[in-house]
Amino acid sequence: MQHPSLNVPYTILLFLIMGFLPILALGQTIVSGTVTEANGMPILGANVYLEGTYDGASTTEQGGFSFETTATGVQVLVVSFLSFETFTMAADVSQLQDLTIKLREDVNSLDTVTISAGTLEASDNSKVSVLKPLDVVTTASALGDFVGALQTLPGTTTVAEDGRLFVRGGDAGETQIFIDGIRVFTPYTPTTNNIPTRGRYSPFLFDGITFSTGGYSAEYGQALSSVLLLNTIDEPDQEKTEISLMTVGGGLGNTQKWEKSSLSVNATYINLAPYIAAFPDRNDWQKPFEGYAGETVFRHKLKNGLFKLYAAFDGTDFELTQEDIDLPEGLDFKLNNKNFYTNASYSADLGLNWKLFGGGSFTYATTKLGIVDSDIKDTESSAHIKVKLRKRFSNRVKLSFGAEQFLTDFKEDFKDPAFAESYGFQNNIAALFTEWDLIFSRKFAVKLGLRGEYSALFDDVTVSPRFSVAYKTGKNSQLSLAYGDFFQQPNSDVLKFETNLEARKTQHYILNYQYTADNRIFRAEAYRKQYSSLITYDTDFTQPDSNFTNDGDGFAQGIDIFWRDNKSIKNVDYWVSYSLLDTERTYQNFPVAATPSFANTHNVSVVGKYWIDAWRSQVGFSHQFGSGRSFTDPNEPGFLQKKTRDFHSTSFNWAYLISQQQILYFSVNNVFAFNNVNGYQYASTPNANGVFDRRALTPAADQFFFIGFFWTISEDGSDNQLDNL
Amino acid sequence: MRNLIIFSFLLISVSGISQTQYEQGMRKAFDLWQGDKPWEAANLFERIANAEPDNWLPAFYIAQINIINSFSEKDPEKLNAQLNKAQEFLNSAKALSPNNPEVLVLEAQWYTAWVVFDGQKYGMQYAGKVAEIYQKAMKLAPENPRVVLGKTEWDMGTARYFGQPIDGYCEELKRAVTLFDSFTPEGEFHPQGGKEYAEKVVASTCN
Repeated sequence: MQHPSLNVPYTILLFLIMGFLPILALGQTIVSGTVTEANGMPILGANVYLEGTYDGASTTEQGGFSFETTATGVQVLVVSFLSFETFTMAADVSQLQDLTIKLREDVNSLDTVTISAGTLEASDNSKVSVLKPLDVVTTASALGDFVGALQTLPGTTTVAEDGRLFVRGGDAGETQIFIDGIRVFTPYTPTTNNIPTRGRYSPFLFDGITFSTGGYSAEYGQALSSVLLLNTIDEPDQEKTEISLMTVGGGLGNTQKWEKSSLSVNATYINLAPYIAAFPDRNDWQKPFEGYAGETVFRHKLKNGLFKLYAAFDGTDFELTQEDIDLPEGLDFKLNNKNFYTNASYSADLGLNWKLFGGGSFTYATTKLGIVDSDIKDTESSAHIKVKLRKRFSNRVKLSFGAEQFLTDFKEDFKDPAFAESYGFQNNIAALFTEWDLIFSRKFAVKLGLRGEYSALFDDVTVSPRFSVAYKTGKNSQLSLAYGDFFQQPNSDVLKFETNLEARKTQHYILNYQYTADNRIFRAEAYRKQYSSLITYDTDFTQPDSNFTNDGDGFAQGIDIFWRDNKSIKNVDYWVSYSLLDTERTYQNFPVAATPSFANTHNVSVVGKYWIDAWRSQVGFSHQFGSGRSFTDPNEPGFLQKKTRDFHSTSFNWAYLISQQQILYFSVNNVFAFNNVNGYQYASTPNANGVFDRRALTPAADQFFFIGFFWTISEDGSDNQLDNL
Repeated sequence: MRNLIIFSFLLISVSGISQTQYEQGMRKAFDLWQGDKPWEAANLFERIANAEPDNWLPAFYIAQINIINSFSEKDPEKLNAQLNKAQEFLNSAKALSPNNPEVLVLEAQWYTAWVVFDGQKYGMQYAGKVAEIYQKAMKLAPENPRVVLGKTEWDMGTARYFGQPIDGYCEELKRAVTLFDSFTPEGEFHPQGGKEYAEKVVASTCN
């Protein structure tokens, strides 16, 4: 075969023409312009391109860009850069020349102002978190109780013999606890005088804790002082078995994971008998504290949502004789409590930036109390159902609204040799809430909320506005202001005898300053709380024949300071909280306005943790100080006119990592054995000299020791892996 | 014969001219990256990802550039922004190519970047997660050199931290190096690097 030699260049030419033809034929348009920040500063390295094409460029040091495109007609120009909102514009390509584009700062970025008035967060994801979830188990005084860890934060009061949260002059019942947004009706293990309680739930189930000491969102109601929000883990890290052996009992847990679901089961058994045999305390135990608990969490991922089911059952049993000034032989007390709690929630992405959340909880609790020769049996069934919708119009404008219903059925049977009676109440509350989040810039944000509640029991409607605003005063500092009205129905110890009442009310005014930089946080918060419609009665205790009214009122004001620093000293993390509180109220059977015995003026907590790399150990200490608490001395005129001496307690702990999976934990509470006095009990009648005798209310034991061994067995343990190599 | 050679030459140059925009873009992005312009490369990968919404590779490389550059980043705001960006594209790579060992290794590196940034804060939190991801990748691709290398390095770091002997890991690291030689990437733009780094790790570990 012979080809003319001319053919070769010809073919090349043909190919070349064919190859270039489309480009030559269509021609090119140049897209050009500059990209700057809002203040005109040029942005280097922004990505500029036409959507759906390969045509684009990165901006130069002067913010300029220029590229050729073969696209024609109307195209979408996209400009994106880290920490700025992505800019888009649609226009005919021929118009896309010499553009000046100003990028808006991304308000989702880390340095955007956050509304911080009243809110203390413990989470890994939050921008400003004062505690980390692990702090719950590594704070010396907390003994693995999340409430114990929160008591080292400002705004709380040291009420060592109780163990619950007392916030800013409010009593423990004024704080409500929510798991995944759903109310927990019976959050604490019941106990008796002078034996502090603990939160019922294992801290390992939660990856975020938000503790609000005032001014909280309209989503939460029925809390006068504070809300504590606990979020369960969405997806566990790995399959594992956890074994714990402690001087006070043991626990066993297991987590299984599948493609879309996971299941965690956890069981604990606590028995104080061996401990009390070794270290007898001031009580005479017939049956030392025994508790058992089982918890399970099931999580299932759906296409656009997540379903979570949490269920817990626990029981408590003990019997003891406690000292009593009026009873030489002591006061007999026994308690048996069974508590079932379940909580289910579903969250889903509905598309178009709508999010749906629905959930409900159910509690069934029975408590049998034996006090001397009276028998009391309480039965509480409560439910909470909630639906919430959230719409994100943009990063800057968000709306949420929802509805919820609380149902409570409470019954009490009282029986003693002379008297028997049953009483109770049903309390249904329906609520609607809505909230707008408006972020005007990285510097300025506003939250506006409104909540309405209808109580079927009182046939009454309450409306509470909530408002907060935050302004960034510098790169690392900001100011927040919050105002809100809060309503809460009387507690069951009142409602079981009288339901012709109305809700109690507080108003919160909060001013907060916050400085965060480089693993250091400083917060200072001033507040004023106005109480009204508090419950009063005219007997020593609430009883069927008491006259109840809503005539009580009061105030609480003060300053809370918090400082945390894990930067200045290598391997040391510490925080200091100080709370100043000034409060008086007229409520219960107070003859005059007075400071209740659970509220003291000064509280200080210092918590320190030191990580010793060479020992693979963390040692921690904490010190709690509380100034004296009020009590009434009947030998002198006046009401709640005296103060106890100051409270001090120093705790120490040591956690040693034997291996990645084994931890040995040791702690002592009140190392220096301060003799703390929580109050005094006076005899109900004077002695022969006309003087009322008294007895100091001291803790059952001055100190508490704890040794625990925690072992996590997971499939990918590096030990096993080492053996395989 | 001569014509045949010319013809085949022509074919090559023609295919060179008409290489797809995708290939052109990817090659240019890798050139920029090698030319020490990682952010320009990331921008180009982002444009490609935008034009090829069904291809996991550009998303993978955007995530990788952001993650690699986070290991040396000390400014928490910048680190946070980069790792958020990486997560966004890591998620889309995961969705486009589920159960892909290369993507899993990158995900493990994403968590590792947080641990490197603040071990005290993220160490205990993410250690289990990282171990689990490598475990899963190992099940899917026991002969993938990057899986073997990443997992061994992580396990070795953990053992070192807990004061356990690390001699046993040397063999596994050497095996990773040889696996790089026998590894055939699925395509020109599929992940294939890491041998030099693996050799460096072997040199510093196995004495």
